[in-house]
Amino acid sequence: MIPVKEILLPKSLDEVCRLLQNNSGSSKIIAGGTDIIPGFHIESPRFKSIERLIDINGIVELKEVTVKDGFISIGSAVTFSEIISNDLLKDQIPLLVKASKTIGSKQIRNRATLGGNFINNAPCADSVAPLLVYDAEIKIKSYTSEKIMKLQDFLVKPYGTRLKSDEIVTHIFIPVSQLKYEGDFYKVGRRRAVSISRISLAVLINTRDGIINDIKIASGAVTPIGTRFYDVEEFAKGKIMNDESEKDIAIKLGERILQTAGVRWSSEYKIPVVQQVCYQLLKKIENGKYLI
Amino acid sequence: MNKREFNIVGKPVVRGDALGKVTGRAKYADDYRFEGELYGVMVRTGSSHAIIKGIDFSKIEKDNSIDAIIKWEDVPGSKNVGPIKPDQPVFCKEKIVTPGDVVAMLVGRDEKRLRELANDVKIELEPLPVLNDPEKALEGNAILIHPELKSNLITHYPLRKGNIEKGFKQSDEIIEQTYTTQLVEHAYIEPECVTAIPGEGNLKIKIIGSIQNPFTTRKVVASVIGCGLNEVEIIQAELGGSFGGKDDTMNIISARAAIAALKLNRPVKIRYQREESIIESYKRHPYVLKYKIGYNKDGRIRAMKIDLLADGGAYASMSPFVTWRSVVQATGPYQIPNVYTDVRVVYTNNPYTGAMRGFGSPQPIFAIESLMDEIAVRLGRTPFEIRMINGFKQGSITASGQKLTGHEVTLCKVLNKAAEVSSFKTKWHKNRDAGNIEESSKESLILKKENFVAPDDLWCKGIGLALSYRGCSLGAEGIDAAAAYVSIQPDGTVYLLTGLAENGQGLKTTFSIVAAEVFGISPDKIIYLEQNTSRIPDSGPTVASRATLMGGGATKNACDELKKRLVKLIADEWKLKSTKDLYFAKDAVTYNGKKKIRIHFDDLIRKAYAKGVNLSTIGWYAGPKVHWEEETGHGSAYFTYVYGCQVAEVSVNTVTGEVYINNIWAVHDPGKVINILGAEGQVYGGVTQGAGYGLWEKISTHEGKIRENNFDQFLIPTSKDIDAIHPYFIEGKDKYGAWGGKSLGEPTLELTAAAISNAITNATGKRFFNLPLNIEEILLRKKLYPEDLKRGSTA
Repeated sequence: MIPVKEILLPKSLDEVCRLLQNNSGSSKIIAGGTDIIPGFHIESPRFKSIERLIDINGIVELKEVTVKDGFISIGSAVTFSEIISNDLLKDQIPLLVKASKTIGSKQIRNRATLGGNFINNAPCADSVAPLLVYDAEIKIKSYTSEKIMKLQDFLVKPYGTRLKSDEIVTHIFIPVSQLKYEGDFYKVGRRRAVSISRISLAVLINTRDGIINDIKIASGAVTPIGTRFYDVEEFAKGKIMNDESEKDIAIKLGERILQTAGVRWSSEYKIPVVQQVCYQLLKKIENGKYLI
Repeated sequence: MNKREFNIVGKPVVRGDALGKVTGRAKYADDYRFEGELYGVMVRTGSSHAIIKGIDFSKIEKDNSIDAIIKWEDVPGSKNVGPIKPDQPVFCKEKIVTPGDVVAMLVGRDEKRLRELANDVKIELEPLPVLNDPEKALEGNAILIHPELKSNLITHYPLRKGNIEKGFKQSDEIIEQTYTTQLVEHAYIEPECVTAIPGEGNLKIKIIGSIQNPFTTRKVVASVIGCGLNEVEIIQAELGGSFGGKDDTMNIISARAAIAALKLNRPVKIRYQREESIIESYKRHPYVLKYKIGYNKDGRIRAMKIDLLADGGAYASMSPFVTWRSVVQATGPYQIPNVYTDVRVVYTNNPYTGAMRGFGSPQPIFAIESLMDEIAVRLGRTPFEIRMINGFKQGSITASGQKLTGHEVTLCKVLNKAAEVSSFKTKWHKNRDAGNIEESSKESLILKKENFVAPDDLWCKGIGLALSYRGCSLGAEGIDAAAAYVSIQPDGTVYLLTGLAENGQGLKTTFSIVAAEVFGISPDKIIYLEQNTSRIPDSGPTVASRATLMGGGATKNACDELKKRLVKLIADEWKLKSTKDLYFAKDAVTYNGKKKIRIHFDDLIRKAYAKGVNLSTIGWYAGPKVHWEEETGHGSAYFTYVYGCQVAEVSVNTVTGEVYINNIWAVHDPGKVINILGAEGQVYGGVTQGAGYGLWEKISTHEGKIRENNFDQFLIPTSKDIDAIHPYFIEGKDKYGAWGGKSLGEPTLELTAAAISNAITNATGKRFFNLPLNIEEILLRKKLYPEDLKRGSTA
């Protein structure tokens, strides 16, 4: 049941930070509530000590999508429905839009926010793999400080991040790339909606004369936390984009994931399938049939 | 028989309860509030099998949020209940036999606090070995779940027809195969909820709840509190789904609420959370199905040996009736000269199993319809041909020796229609030639280059069909009769009530249509009354797809009786020699003989009242006698049957195992369709539920505890998982029910999983034997489970 004693509705980011000051864990930020509220109901230990919820839905700057200084900036309280219908994002970061469409149901997407999707660092968070391939950075604020961090560095371990209890993630920044990337995202779920991902994979490639000039690969659900595979990317760079090398890359990815995750109850399914999914994504990019 | 023109029967009528339900105005069980009401919260042990050494309430009993702690010694009447065998305690005294078992109930005003306190009850348990595997239940050394019954066998039904040995000798080929089906939850959206109100008027107790079978609930409550049936009144609130699931569990919860309400002389409400609903409520029986089938090169089946084992879980519940339907229908709708069937259902420590839409039919249908396809492939014939050769025709003899007469046997008609509208034969051949997926036999998790699937082969299409017959109503399970009360008011409006309960299937509207048709008035003029056991005769449970057949028959009988009285009045008034040319239609009665006379229905009723004509009656409809010989499995199991065929078209992702349902063509003979919208609704719902059974739904246990205890893990289909469902109706003629309106609810569900499985085989070249066909089953032919019950987010 909901243990909360009070819910606060601050009007400004400063006020949020002030409210978070000296927070020892009894105050928690709430935006969409699609993680916290069910978490209360199943008595998740993650939320047991919460006495006070700080509702950030009223703070305009956390709900904005803008472009500035070569970065796309998405407020952490922007919902997935807003991401899906944003033309700029559709054009600039289509993998995130595609991943957003696979999250929950329409009702969940109307409430759930981008910040809320990764703030708990659940391995199955569907936005994480796309954000990682787009080299997302996040802005973290407290009453006394402000910093920018790579999302990859922020995510530490399953259900663990670098966020301190007096801090809030305010924005997600995605650098507008000068290179032209082609890419795609695929999520394997048990069904087509309201489905927790079994595997998600995001791939972005920049080719030059049929040779892989740059490549970014990230996964979700198949590794303990959402993960970029820099060594697989290094392995792939410089290869000719053909069937042979695509299979090599997929196999390399499988080996790397097995190494990272170890053999788990689900490995017999997930490890072969993630290689197949990787190969399919690479093939689609090669054939120009990505993101249809 | 069906030549007459109908005013409204068969036309689309929007359900009377629809608007209230979609606008939120409808009143469900938890929407009722009563002055001074208390809540009841269950205390469970978390154990699957143990002796209760002691229960210590000392930590909580002084807490002022507790008004009473109800235990087994508070039960004034029967301490054990059960529809067939009284083996289920209302509160456990000495032993726990399954995790859903309840040892006590805390009653008080603060439900939230009670739930916390329930965790503070100290229960000392001596663990007993846990029996989870039904295949071990009958072994000599198996622990007995109910030692006083001397065996874990709940029921055994044999059926013998012809000479099985001879049948196999005469066969050119024999296939032997084992199939398994899984435990599933009904997944009604509204969890259990009931309020018991003590001492209103002459009543001892009044109960309002989410109850499927109010008369069964009344019987259980009266027996548990030890009073007459007429001292208990059950009122059915709007039901938020049941599918067979709000029977035993609701009866026992109602009895618990009644005990507390009487003890404290206050209304007591019990409402379950989803997790406890899934943990305590009964489920669909998992089956192990062993089939041996002998057939000739011409496709004719000569012999079938069937051994079915059902897991009844900890209590008998409806198991004897569920498995009886299995023994009747285990061969499928095929005429086979030699049959040797054994169906057994056993006790285990698993969640108990009972009634669920389909009721012992989806399991054998999955097996037999898989086998029919396999025979087809082996003989180089199509699934359509094999079924046409062996399927029931008019006058065919069933496995139990019943000759199919007295109704139109439409099996071949539904099969033909389904094959035609889905272009089955062409697609089936094309898909088979198109592509197969390899059996995975990888030694290593890392792929070899030859294992990768080319994009063009990623998605495979498949088409599959399944065929069934189904006995209508209860059959030889028990007495089969229903009542309907019809009362025409002085202004021409009508009250209607039957003894059957609205469980979401739309029977209020169906029966209103029947009455409207007889009187020639609009269904808007009919008000269907609240379901209340004090107001109408016991008409048996609302189960077995029997409502339209039995309640429709009763409604028509009642209306026909009143119509007869009106006809007599008119004949006297208008001095008619013959009433042959009298028509009740368009809110009027018209005489179309030599002279033309017309009277508005309302005016006629006013006239009838002025003359003192009695315009109220109770109609009664009883099914004809059926019989069953337990030792041989011979008999006329059901008095009539319905037939159905479904074709599924699916796309299978050969690298991930994902399945998407592109089309389901569902061709059913429900007899006369009363409300076409209602009939289509049954198809959409049944097919969706059947698809869930085929592809996703499964309750699994870890050391006896349920893993999937909410809808984040127990996955039912969403609207995104199934594309088009195409309903078609063939109206086979029958003399029973209202104008031959029979059954549809269960047939729509029972076929879908089998059709989908056959479609997946058609797509992939792989045959599957174990439901559900989830992503792991499709790729690996097995299910994968985490090693413990911990979940990442709660760890």
